[in-house]
Amino acid sequence: MNWQHKTVFVTGATGFIGGRVCERLIQAGATDVRALVHTSKNAARIGRLPIQLCPGSLLDQTSLRQAMGNAKVVIHCGLGIARGIVKGTGNLLEAAASAGVERVVHMSTAAVYGLTPRPGSETEETPVPRTGDAYCDNKGEAEKLVLRFASRGLPAVILRPSIVYGPYSAWSTRLIQELKDSQAALIDGGNGACNTTYVDNLVDAIFLAIESEQAVGRAFFITDGERITWGDFIRAHARMIGQEMTGEETIPDISSQEIRSYYASQPGILVGSVKAAGQVLRSREFRQMLLRIPLSARALAGLWRWSSSLDEQSRTRLRERVGVRKAAAMATQNGRFIPDEVTLATQTGTVFFSIAKAQNLLGYQPRIPFRQGISLVEQWLRFANYL
Amino acid sequence: MKNQIRLAMFGCGTIVKSQHLPAALAHPDVVLVALVDASSDRAANLMRSAHLNCKISTDYASVLGEVDAVINALPNHLHAPATLDALAAGVHVLCEKPLATNSADARACAAAAAEKGLVLAVGMNRRYQDNHRLLKLILEHGMLGTLEGYDWQVGGPYDWNAATSFYFSKAEAGGGALIDYGVHLLDSLTDWFGPVTDFQYEDDDWGSGIEANASLTLQHKSAQGTTPGYVRISRTYPLSNRLLVRGSEATAELLLSDPDMVVVHRQVGGQSISETLRLGDGSKPPSNSFHLQLDNFIQSIRGIQTPYVNGLQAAAVLELIESCYARRKRIPEPWSELEPSSGALA
Repeated sequence: MNWQHKTVFVTGATGFIGGRVCERLIQAGATDVRALVHTSKNAARIGRLPIQLCPGSLLDQTSLRQAMGNAKVVIHCGLGIARGIVKGTGNLLEAAASAGVERVVHMSTAAVYGLTPRPGSETEETPVPRTGDAYCDNKGEAEKLVLRFASRGLPAVILRPSIVYGPYSAWSTRLIQELKDSQAALIDGGNGACNTTYVDNLVDAIFLAIESEQAVGRAFFITDGERITWGDFIRAHARMIGQEMTGEETIPDISSQEIRSYYASQPGILVGSVKAAGQVLRSREFRQMLLRIPLSARALAGLWRWSSSLDEQSRTRLRERVGVRKAAAMATQNGRFIPDEVTLATQTGTVFFSIAKAQNLLGYQPRIPFRQGISLVEQWLRFANYL
Repeated sequence: MKNQIRLAMFGCGTIVKSQHLPAALAHPDVVLVALVDASSDRAANLMRSAHLNCKISTDYASVLGEVDAVINALPNHLHAPATLDALAAGVHVLCEKPLATNSADARACAAAAAEKGLVLAVGMNRRYQDNHRLLKLILEHGMLGTLEGYDWQVGGPYDWNAATSFYFSKAEAGGGALIDYGVHLLDSLTDWFGPVTDFQYEDDDWGSGIEANASLTLQHKSAQGTTPGYVRISRTYPLSNRLLVRGSEATAELLLSDPDMVVVHRQVGGQSISETLRLGDGSKPPSNSFHLQLDNFIQSIRGIQTPYVNGLQAAAVLELIESCYARRKRIPEPWSELEPSSGALA
């Protein structure tokens, strides 16, 4: 691809994947990259690049069209929260269609099949189900929009990566902190399918999806193509901080059954959390008191899940005021760490997604194997002072 | 109240709202007469939220005839032009850092102030923090023994909620982490350890001129001798946010999280001990550097004090920053440098 003088518009550019997309575009010789920037607060990474930072929002059609300019290629990594995922994607597709862009690459997720995909979801031909999870279902709805626009002539492609990791990824920075804080565990021996996708493998796939004529109107799983388990992923990070070096397991192992039993024995968590929310929001002191009480900490974990159904503004406000994410990982029983239910769902899947379709139609070949990817992550974590 | 200094704010962004305006409203010798901003809405909103009744303007020239002094907190590229215009109109200036986006403009500002006999103070508010003064005392009294060097790391995800995006424009900001934050560190370091005689500089600018990370290896020379040091600044990574100054007898530690104290670590009888040092007798309330900075500006206008940082001092630091940018090397990022393969990068 000759990127020179081809205007590329990237949404989600201040995020982990979008940031790397922008870097790779510059490395590939792109001279006209426009990055949608909702707030400059997170723009330090891409601020280093010779690209245009275009203020705007996926939820504001006018600013979005201005930011897109005369882009020929749109790479949509913008996330949004809850219904914002669908509305923002719809706005983007409308803007792209009216601007006559030559290619839209929509960053979806393998999680359209749920946090724990059902066996049989290995290929893209499996119909996307309703999962009951707000994030998964909204990403699924966004995919439907993309396909609808594609059927009307917009040359759009859907990529479905799974656990995208690499430098700047919160998967790694958070896991390192959790391991240091003894807030990590292997679930069922860590045998769940992780479906890692090294970020540069994903960017390779994005670039291929821009070039491939056969890609239009189709969805593709993108992973590293290796059968990496959550145990592999967690242990690799543990080794970075000197754990798991002797071959003896140092990370606690907990069965999914035990976690389910634990949460089942806590009736009314969600109801309790909603009731507690008003007080939590009103009082900093009360919040701090709550966080010291295990039962209430669990209620806050429930509150975190409930909050995922809120709109972006409300959720951000809630997160800022309550600090629920921290609380979500605080459940313990007899001093033993109990992973939250989202982690349970994420780490107990058995499906390894097939990348055969991406290989056949896009020519995708994951060039960074897990061992190398983890090594690059470790180098970055050390430089970034996380290790 | 008689003899109050009539003050205008140039710029109504985050730093004015959060620091300069509260300091001005709390100072008994100051009366705020105007808020100036390119956005009249922003200025009006600030006036309303602070329950003020003052002039609002989008043109700073229109208020220069009505004030004795201004706090210039416009975007960086407007610091020097607005400062020069204010000085030309006979108005004293407290200018946010950096005084200019280049040392020549900073020197022009210093010369204009000197020519007019006006006060030009530069907003290096960290000079007014207790830990700056404490470390200066510690060094002056040789409490650390022979100086061996220092290590200063400051960084975290960039979260400054700027009113505009000028921080990410080379033309408007003058650079990235170094000129924005490093200017504070270099100003403090030269005050503590003397001028920089040699340095090596690296940053991670990929072509925009707005580095997110910068590191410097420095050498200072003063009457006390030569001091080597290392500085790392980041807008993306969580660094230790502390300064360690090592001496033959003890190590001083300054934490970003508590600017009112210095911790001194030493070995006594084979044991490690630490002392927390604070100014005063222990009853002193936490200091607010912006309040102290404004008071120093006001007292300088009255001829009672001189600014902690004047235009020439600011210009000297900017000269060092310019030299850094001119001699920059790229920070190696092996995780970013991939071999092109299978046409994906082509």
